[in-house]
Amino acid sequence: MPPDDASVSSITDPGSGTAHVPAYVLRVPTGPYRSLNPLTRFVIAIASAAVAFGVRGWTGPLAVLALTAALALYAGVARSLRRFVLATIPIVVSILFINAFLYPGATDVLARIGPFAATGTGVTVALQATLRVVAFALSVALFSLTTATDDFLADLENRGAGRRLTFIIGSAIGTVPAMATRVTEIVEAQRARGLDTEGSVRRRIRGIVPLAGPMVFGALSEVEERTVALEARGFSAPARRTVMRVLPDDGAQRALRWLLGLGSLVAVAASITGRFPLP
Amino acid sequence: MTIRLAGATYRYAGARSNALDGVDLELAPGSVIGVVGANEAGKSTLCLVASGLAPVVVAGSLGGSVTIDGRKTITMRPHELAQRCGILLQNPEAQLSGTAVTVFEELAFGPRNLGLPLGSVVERVEASLETLAIAHLAARDPARLSGGQAQLVALAAILALRPAYLILDEPTSQLDPQGTRLVGDALRRLAAENRTGILVVEHKTNLLDRLTDSVVLIDEGRVVREGPAAEVLGDPALAALGVEPPPRARIRAAIAAAGLDGTGVTDALLLELAS
Amino acid sequence: MNALKGWVAGQFTTRVIVLMPIAIAINIVLGYTVQTILKLPIYLDSIGTILVGVLAGPLAGALTGILSNLIWQYAPVIGGGTIGPFAITAGVIGLLAGIWGQLAVYRSRPASGTQLILAAIAAGVIAVVVVIPILNNPAYTDPNVGGYPSWVYTAAAVIAVVVAVVVAGFIYVRRDLAGLWVAVAGVLTGIVAAFVSAPISAIAFGGVTGGGTDLLVAALRQGGSDVIHASLGQGLFSDPIDKTITSFVVFIILSGLSPRLLARFPLGERLTGNRAA
Repeated sequence: MPPDDASVSSITDPGSGTAHVPAYVLRVPTGPYRSLNPLTRFVIAIASAAVAFGVRGWTGPLAVLALTAALALYAGVARSLRRFVLATIPIVVSILFINAFLYPGATDVLARIGPFAATGTGVTVALQATLRVVAFALSVALFSLTTATDDFLADLENRGAGRRLTFIIGSAIGTVPAMATRVTEIVEAQRARGLDTEGSVRRRIRGIVPLAGPMVFGALSEVEERTVALEARGFSAPARRTVMRVLPDDGAQRALRWLLGLGSLVAVAASITGRFPLP
Repeated sequence: MTIRLAGATYRYAGARSNALDGVDLELAPGSVIGVVGANEAGKSTLCLVASGLAPVVVAGSLGGSVTIDGRKTITMRPHELAQRCGILLQNPEAQLSGTAVTVFEELAFGPRNLGLPLGSVVERVEASLETLAIAHLAARDPARLSGGQAQLVALAAILALRPAYLILDEPTSQLDPQGTRLVGDALRRLAAENRTGILVVEHKTNLLDRLTDSVVLIDEGRVVREGPAAEVLGDPALAALGVEPPPRARIRAAIAAAGLDGTGVTDALLLELAS
Repeated sequence: MNALKGWVAGQFTTRVIVLMPIAIAINIVLGYTVQTILKLPIYLDSIGTILVGVLAGPLAGALTGILSNLIWQYAPVIGGGTIGPFAITAGVIGLLAGIWGQLAVYRSRPASGTQLILAAIAAGVIAVVVVIPILNNPAYTDPNVGGYPSWVYTAAAVIAVVVAVVVAGFIYVRRDLAGLWVAVAGVLTGIVAAFVSAPISAIAFGGVTGGGTDLLVAALRQGGSDVIHASLGQGLFSDPIDKTITSFVVFIILSGLSPRLLARFPLGERLTGNRAA
């Protein structure tokens, strides 16, 4: 598509222009771990998840757990990990109980509690699965506690992700709090009209439409105006969007990302195919 | 080089009647045209049609012709329209991108979308902040602004695009008198110094009185009155159409009704009193 | 090639780009509200995904689902929980919704009198057809034959009958044949979702979810099922119900929107065929 307006240049120039951008816009992240490029931190999170789930046995999850805990300490977010660990409790309880006592085909009984027999195999599986879940939760925590949404999205866009994808993600994250407030208001209003949040299952199911309806309608009614507003600001212009924030990156991190990516794939493949079984 | 509507008729997709019915209007560079009318008279539709966003973005069918600088709006892409004609809609909160961390970045959204060089982007943002005196908001979170502040930011965001024409739908609805005067002065400067053609829908007829060269009265999608601000706004029939006359006219009417001699009361004095 | 590019681009108009974050937020907030505040044993975190799929197409729907899960997992403040790995399932749900959208499944089909009664009977017949093989399954009558414990089959039969009655009632009360198609779409989506989720759940979470339905998993394991089959059993219980309820909620919402609003979306036209403007 040939440029339609000669006065609009699509050449971007972050190099010399960056000097004019205020510091509160550039917001170059500093501090241990946070100074790493957001993509590096994301690759670490994904590689950790892959190894935690994909490398069967004890080594995978334990390695991820140790590494993530160490990085969290280094980054200074260790205390905030609590919430993420606590959130895994319901699923961990299920994992422990169901696998320890009800593992199919296991015969090495360790102890009996009433009608239930805990088996050695079952307990092993239960503990490993628990480790996996906790390791995964910590890897997620490490990422979301140290990474600002806009940093990640700006970096993605600079790498070519496209303004539409980054808009969708950024706008979604920004819309959740407002919508949560709206839902609370709707729940209160419906409660006043008799919505039962504690009653029988049937009554609670009937409460869904009065809850979902206003929320969805309210949200959809804004779509038209927001679409017009976006277009009015040139959102669908074909030019490559001007780079304004640059998140620092270097060769060492690039190499690390490749290493982690490939390494985790190899580790998972080796474990699945049984080539290189680790304890 | 103008925005010209000739016999413009517009019907929204799926609607049963025309929202605009044969409107002739011309917006020349440097001129300021005010638009008044009752609610649902078609003022907002006029804004969308004049800027070309209807029917290019908003689904509907357009009759007659609407051209911007000689090109028909229906042949233009949304971003081409955005570069030539800045439009500000009624609800400020819906105008903001929702993805900017600071007001500075919110203002930079438009120029960045067009791929302008970074130096130019920064320069435009700073100029817009200056023009509307909101430099103190530059580092603030756009989601946490008051209604009035959000409206100023939304307007500044459109100004940052440096369009040749501005189409504004109630740009001061959430502003106090001081803010309103600020916007009015800024718009007047833009028209005078930058030769920006401005179409502004307003209920604050006092503002229109000071700002505009001519005023257009819309009723049921048609232009029923057009002329200099003093004339149209002084028309007693305004009230019947749901438009409140400006204080100037009301004061004159009150003086006349009281049987007093109003010859010594000049327009300038009334403008001073009214603002 | 150009036709393919056109098909892709056509699903991602600016209007859809604006809708998607709203849909993602609806998924997250509604899912959290239903699971935590209403405390129902369903997820209801796919309303936005299915909405986008039906209005915009399979790719937009799939992307909405995938992003919803990843954002709910990794975003600051919101993030946590264990939903991330199920992004694949969410993507499949969105994909299917796009297919239903292309097939105009959610279009109102007003009918009256005989047609309605016939449709209600059809729903009943389908239920019977589904129930009979379940009841005749040798595993049901003879405990020595492998498979699920007998009570599972009874439960499946009961659920099928209940669903058929509800669907038939819905069709009759709203005088709209679309109820049948929406139910079928919901059940199919649920079944596919269960099959996609089972291996993910088995590999990542040992076949449990942390929710009340884990009791079902426990019971199935007690009966001798292995990890994947127990997980699948739990999924086949929760997912078809959840996705059918979700589909009906989406249907009710869509039928309440004006044709003028719907027509602006890529697949909007397929929803408004029989409706007066």
